[in-house]
Amino acid sequence: MNFARITALAGRIIRQLFRDRRTLVLIFIVPVVIMTLLYLVLTNTSSVRTLAIIPPSGSDRINILITDLLPGKDKLNVIYINANQVNDTLKNGNVDAAVIFPPDFAQEVFTGQNPSVQVVLEGSDPNVANAMHDLIVSFTHQLGVALSALKAQQAQAGQGQALPPVLGGPLPFTVSDPQYLHGGVQYTFNDSIAPVFIAIFSFFFVFLLTSIAFLRERSQGTIERVMASPMTRSELVIGYILGFLLFALVQSLMILLFVIYALRVHYSGNLSLVFLVTVLLTIGSINLGILLSAFAQNEFQIVQFIPLVFTDLFVRRLLADRPATCHIATHLLHFASDIRK
Amino acid sequence: MTEAIPGAHKQKELQRPANGKPMVVVNQLVKQFGKLRAVDNLTMNIYAGETFGLIGPNGSGKTTLIRMLVGLILPTSGAIYIMNERMPSHKVAAQMGYMTQLSALYLDLTAMENMQFFCNVYGLRGKEQKQRIIEMLERVDLADRANDVVGKFSGGMRQRLSLACALVHHPSIALLDEPTVGVDPELRRAFWDYFAQLNKEGVTIIVSTHHLDEASRCARLGLMRNGVLLAQDSPQEVLRKSGQGNMEEAFLFYASCQEVQK
Repeated sequence: MNFARITALAGRIIRQLFRDRRTLVLIFIVPVVIMTLLYLVLTNTSSVRTLAIIPPSGSDRINILITDLLPGKDKLNVIYINANQVNDTLKNGNVDAAVIFPPDFAQEVFTGQNPSVQVVLEGSDPNVANAMHDLIVSFTHQLGVALSALKAQQAQAGQGQALPPVLGGPLPFTVSDPQYLHGGVQYTFNDSIAPVFIAIFSFFFVFLLTSIAFLRERSQGTIERVMASPMTRSELVIGYILGFLLFALVQSLMILLFVIYALRVHYSGNLSLVFLVTVLLTIGSINLGILLSAFAQNEFQIVQFIPLVFTDLFVRRLLADRPATCHIATHLLHFASDIRK
Repeated sequence: MTEAIPGAHKQKELQRPANGKPMVVVNQLVKQFGKLRAVDNLTMNIYAGETFGLIGPNGSGKTTLIRMLVGLILPTSGAIYIMNERMPSHKVAAQMGYMTQLSALYLDLTAMENMQFFCNVYGLRGKEQKQRIIEMLERVDLADRANDVVGKFSGGMRQRLSLACALVHHPSIALLDEPTVGVDPELRRAFWDYFAQLNKEGVTIIVSTHHLDEASRCARLGLMRNGVLLAQDSPQEVLRKSGQGNMEEAFLFYASCQEVQK
């Protein structure tokens, strides 16, 4: 192992990259642009959903009860429509779900006819549909509890008497605001996705740069010259790692600072750990690049490896949550990327 | 614990053999690529300070032989010794200069930066490196283009720079794979004059070519065809033994002998 040769190689790679302005833009500007776009897209989607209610006719007291039980305006938009407007409103995308009370709802409840309340979900986004469904279930449940209490009261008071006044007062207990082990109320989707992107950018760009740089060495024949010199294979790999590591570290530092100070993504814990992970990812991706470039004859074939590399990243993430049998596959994937040329 | 013999732990220094002593010994070398036998039972000696020309048509196994001599590929059987070291050897690699068939240069770097990189890899540094680079660039007539990016160079200029890169670290033995391809006649002559001068300095040169007219400038020739060494001798002897008037006829004579033997 000769350190002077390693530095010579790393220095050459750094010099070549500095000469290549477009690649520098790719490394340093593109991640920032992509992060900004994602940030804008993800923060501007409104999280306040709209629910349409088709109220039962002729029972003001039940309607007041319904209004009281629904979550506040900052969490849910509520509109009241007629039964014949339901389909149109849902199709227009104005509401995410509709709850249809039958016209004689109150009557039927108190006479024990067990009326049916219909729920219609817009449904094109499963996440929204699920959230709305949960909300409606909890709301109708509360309504049911309140109405049962009311019915019992009425039974006690005896037939024919006027319905007792209602209700809708505070719960007999309080639920404290949630405490977060990680994160907080102000955390958004951006906060959970930002770290993923720091990793993906350094992994992906370094993979692309190494595999193409190595491919060029092969097609231009310079790798022959280098291998014919006293340089050993391990010096070659380490030289490549050091050369690209510099760019990967500057890149992830830049993304990190941008994400934290410009996009104001929250973080907790030790930032130097992020760097450690980036270093390891970069080393892995350089080796993967060298390995895969050995199977490619030209740049176009390298591009064909990109889906493979990305699937590898995602599959590993998914497999981590799967039962132990799948872990063999995870280890295989790790192993595959650790093989050095 | 016995005390180590003083100096025994030191690596033995590779000595350039005196002129006329064997520099390269190749013994029953075979290289098989699948069904193709690229080099077939090749035995030869190359002596220090001579220019040994590997002559043969395309696909005769010259490049494969050179790649084995450099240590890039391993022989299927047989052995190569250079300066008494069995190849491949990193110690010998440091003393070898290798010029590939296609000029292997970094196109996005300048001529100067290419030279610096190869100097650094071979451990030539500092002031000595600077002087040597200027000297070599002047020799191949590229001193005024030192700071130009190689990608803008013409084929001949790249070939010249490639030669300069191969010889920049004072190698004891230079393996040049078709160095004069695409080089104009004037420069070709300059190259061969330079080889003669290097021989005088004690550098052994192994050069492959398919220009038969260059053969006369070699001290000795190896005639190759279909992976077989047809003859190894001085140009004069090759001509005399074949009884032919020129190198082309001589080569055809040896080729027909090979066919008859089959």
